[in-house]
Amino acid sequence: MESNAIISINRVNFYYGAVRALTDISMKFRKNKVTALIGPSGCGKSTLLRLLNRMNDLIDGTRVEGEILFEGQNIYAPDVDPVEIRRKIGMVFQKPNPFPKTIYNNIAYGPKLTGVNAGDLDALVEQSLKQAVLWDEVKDIMSKSAMNLSGGQQQRLCIARALAMKPDILLMDEPTSALDPISTAKIEELIEELKKDYTIIIVTHNMQQAARISDETAFFYIGNLIEYNKTEKIFTKPEVKQTEDYITGRFG
Amino acid sequence: MNRQTKEIIIKYIFLLFALVSVIVLGLIVFSLFREGLPLFTEVSVKDFLFGMEWYPTYDPPSFGIFPLIVGSLIVTLLATFIAVPLGVMAAIYISEIAPQAIKETLKSVIELLAGLPSVVLGFFGMVIVAPWMQETFDLPTGLNIVNASVILAIMAIPTISSISEDALYAVPREFKDASYALGATKFETIVKVILPAAMSGISTAVMLGMARAIGETMVVLMVAGGAAAIPESLFDSVRPMPASIAAEMGETPYRSSHYSALFAIGIVLFCLTLAFNLIADYVSHKFRQIGSGTL
Repeated sequence: MESNAIISINRVNFYYGAVRALTDISMKFRKNKVTALIGPSGCGKSTLLRLLNRMNDLIDGTRVEGEILFEGQNIYAPDVDPVEIRRKIGMVFQKPNPFPKTIYNNIAYGPKLTGVNAGDLDALVEQSLKQAVLWDEVKDIMSKSAMNLSGGQQQRLCIARALAMKPDILLMDEPTSALDPISTAKIEELIEELKKDYTIIIVTHNMQQAARISDETAFFYIGNLIEYNKTEKIFTKPEVKQTEDYITGRFG
Repeated sequence: MNRQTKEIIIKYIFLLFALVSVIVLGLIVFSLFREGLPLFTEVSVKDFLFGMEWYPTYDPPSFGIFPLIVGSLIVTLLATFIAVPLGVMAAIYISEIAPQAIKETLKSVIELLAGLPSVVLGFFGMVIVAPWMQETFDLPTGLNIVNASVILAIMAIPTISSISEDALYAVPREFKDASYALGATKFETIVKVILPAAMSGISTAVMLGMARAIGETMVVLMVAGGAAAIPESLFDSVRPMPASIAAEMGETPYRSSHYSALFAIGIVLFCLTLAFNLIADYVSHKFRQIGSGTL
């Protein structure tokens, strides 16, 4: 698992105030793979995900120890601008959260911030929506509010919005937990498609989902990384008893 | 008495209390119109609203309130121009930027400002702002539009700021997260996501702030100067409608035409504040239904 790591986490501890949410985590995420983070609620998997694009900076009273290397650079080094990191590492949230703007402006929001010129914008919007397999459904209603879309469409819109930034990595925080099975299937197909071009790290509560879509799986329990291996290995021959108990549904 | 009867009685008692304010409002509006409308047997509505001369005690009197309407509108508008940026920016600072400790202090100071009696503010305008303005800008009087607007703005800021603040707080966390995750800075997030999403609430705040300013009596009575003429510059005195009513009501004979005219001014004021409230209501509902989708 040493080869082509895009993110390396070295001995990271994370605190909410005095509470330690992550304990001495070290792991590597591989390029163009789908990595699933699983574990019971409160195990720190979402916290870890939000550490990777410095979203936890927005919460008061949090503290990080250790280093997270993205393409060889520690993203928590003092001279690193979190805004730059977030432009390269996109994120999709649990609840679809389109802006109360038009579909077009939702996608164009990010690129406009980076100063993409108006001429390239239309093409970029189209390309992003096509990548997220939403183009055919929305191409005639681009100037309608994104709030009118269904939950599944909204989530694909959010994926398209993240893709419009041309990120290297896509973080997904339980992206299908608020969706129906059909929308979920569409998002999973989409993830399958996207991993050719992107590195995807996904938090999920759904173990079948982790088994279906991921190449590697990491199991967390109370802030500790318990086991991290190829997905088929984790789901067929886990090395740690806790992992086995969790994936067979004995707890969690 | 069984439980159901009790419930019914309680329900009607609450209904009664709720109706009290409606009934009182109805009675006030009724008497306003009963006292004011007789004027229009003597003066046409057009001459009243657009007449240029307000000489209620002359013989024959003339009841043209256009200068008073202009006076009210101009101080209200100018006060709005001053109060909206200050109020909205204070709200943004409090809800989005300020650290916890400063936030609490600022909020209570602004609430304190709301609690200042208008007569105290009027005093301040009269005794401190007016002489300073007169000397500094070499004006015939310091009691003028600018002075009144500044004081009215100070009164409207707490209204605008606290309602805007509620609107900003109500913007879902998810929108902000989405914006930050796309690499927006705090400033970009505020300007492009939070403000548009809170626009309905902020518009309501502005409307209610204006309603507060246009109906305010004591301040304009004390510092607007009281000249019932169309102003030629922002440093002229004006006589806004509430000031006229308050200043003249004590001297009018009961049910004289001057008396009716003052009530008729009351009707105009009532309609204006009603309009502001309706617009505020409309704006907030409209945005709520469609989302600010087209922004």
